Amino acid sequence: MEVLRIIGGLLIILSTTSIGFYYGNRFSNRLENLIYIEQCIKILETEIVYGAVPLPDALTNVYYKGNKKVSFIFEEMKKHLLNNKDEDIFQSFTYVSDLLKCKLNFKEEDIEMFLSLGRMLGSSDRQDQEKNFKLILKQIAVFQNEAKLERDKNEKMYKNLGILTGFAIVIILL
Amino acid sequence: MDENQIGIYENVLEYISLELSRSLKKIPNRYKAHVEEIRLRIGLPLNIYCMGSDYFVTPEGSLTGDRVKAKIVRKQDMLKTFQLISNYSVYAFEEEIRNGFITLKGGHRVGIGGKVLYGANGIETIRNISSLNIRIAREKLGVSDNLIKYIVDIPRTTIHNTLIISPPQCGKTTILRDIVRNLSNGLEIFNNKGLKVGVIDERSELAGMYNGMAQHDVGLRTDILDGCTKKDGTIMLLRAMSPNIIAMDEIGSINDVEAIHESLKAGVKIIATVHGSSIEDLISKRSLSMLIDEKIFERYIFLDNSKGIGTVRDVIEGNSFTTIIK
Repeated sequence: MEVLRIIGGLLIILSTTSIGFYYGNRFSNRLENLIYIEQCIKILETEIVYGAVPLPDALTNVYYKGNKKVSFIFEEMKKHLLNNKDEDIFQSFTYVSDLLKCKLNFKEEDIEMFLSLGRMLGSSDRQDQEKNFKLILKQIAVFQNEAKLERDKNEKMYKNLGILTGFAIVIILL
Repeated sequence: MDENQIGIYENVLEYISLELSRSLKKIPNRYKAHVEEIRLRIGLPLNIYCMGSDYFVTPEGSLTGDRVKAKIVRKQDMLKTFQLISNYSVYAFEEEIRNGFITLKGGHRVGIGGKVLYGANGIETIRNISSLNIRIAREKLGVSDNLIKYIVDIPRTTIHNTLIISPPQCGKTTILRDIVRNLSNGLEIFNNKGLKVGVIDERSELAGMYNGMAQHDVGLRTDILDGCTKKDGTIMLLRAMSPNIIAMDEIGSINDVEAIHESLKAGVKIIATVHGSSIEDLISKRSLSMLIDEKIFERYIFLDNSKGIGTVRDVIEGNSFTTIIK
């Protein structure tokens, strides 16, 4: 009986701790992914502004050169673009926006920024594309700062909260 | 042969919005093999040129002369088609758009009409695209086989400087391309020895370069300068590529004449084409009359479409201005 209690208590602590870590990690994940997506967008900018590489090829190059944890979305977009002749690049961006939310822990505002890239991509000359890239990269820098502050504030708190809640429940039940 | 030609037509449809290409796919096969141009104009009927006449295309894919039955090209069809043509990347085709056309895979050319914007250095871009003209490139191998005997200079294993003259749409470029292919691959009269040919393809029409690959067969010993002006191209070819022959399409400006003089000084032979229908037409253009006075061209080939595109009407010897066609 005693053994069962101990095992049950440990299980409770383990699960609340993992919930705490899950929520805590979302903050550091967002920051990490914002850094990776910034790198990807910089690669895309180089491909477009300096290489004048056509968009489908440029997206594949970003996939290979960028960090795969994030760059896979560019390959997804390329596939969507080429397989759906009736749609345009913005629709390919919206197609992957769900992935951004679930897999990369992006917030609504990050996704909106990403979609704004899709609105202009490929539709104008190089000079214009460059200006738009600069704007988006500035925006990402702002989001990164904000994500860093949020992470510092919340990550530890959620993790501790997970462990402590576990202990609290165990104490009450005992 | 026809199957192949239908294939070419259907490949081109890949670049047209689904809505329009659905109708274009349904046109009768006997027309598919001969479509020369597909023309899109916003708010106007979908139009094709085929075997010398023009037709409107109905939504069901039949051809008609009645504009009421025709399928109308909407703005979104135009936008979508332009996106497909530019591969979703306007920035990658800046230079081409400035020149008014984009070359597609397969060497097909798309002419662009719309609002032209000027910047400090001339035309900057074309916005609000209002019409597109997709010209289907149909390679005709062997069309110059009967013509080659008039331009070769057998004792010197080279050719005479040649000018091909014809009105638009009479097959100048096709003939020039085939001559280049023949000379570059090697002729029987030269014991199958090929000549080095430098092609200056200012309008990307001769070789139809796409991603660094010539989309038309221009021969085994041909070097291509794509999108290059004739003047710059001649200097570049002479400096480094040591060509026996330089081929260029549509000469006309003073700079082109200078380019030709430059090549002749280096002992390189020239084949060129020009718009016109008679020697008098050429003399009326100041720059070209210089070339005629100096008797630079030893052969003039006149084309028309009296017996189909690319009919050779006359071949004239350049010193005596007498016809030598048999």
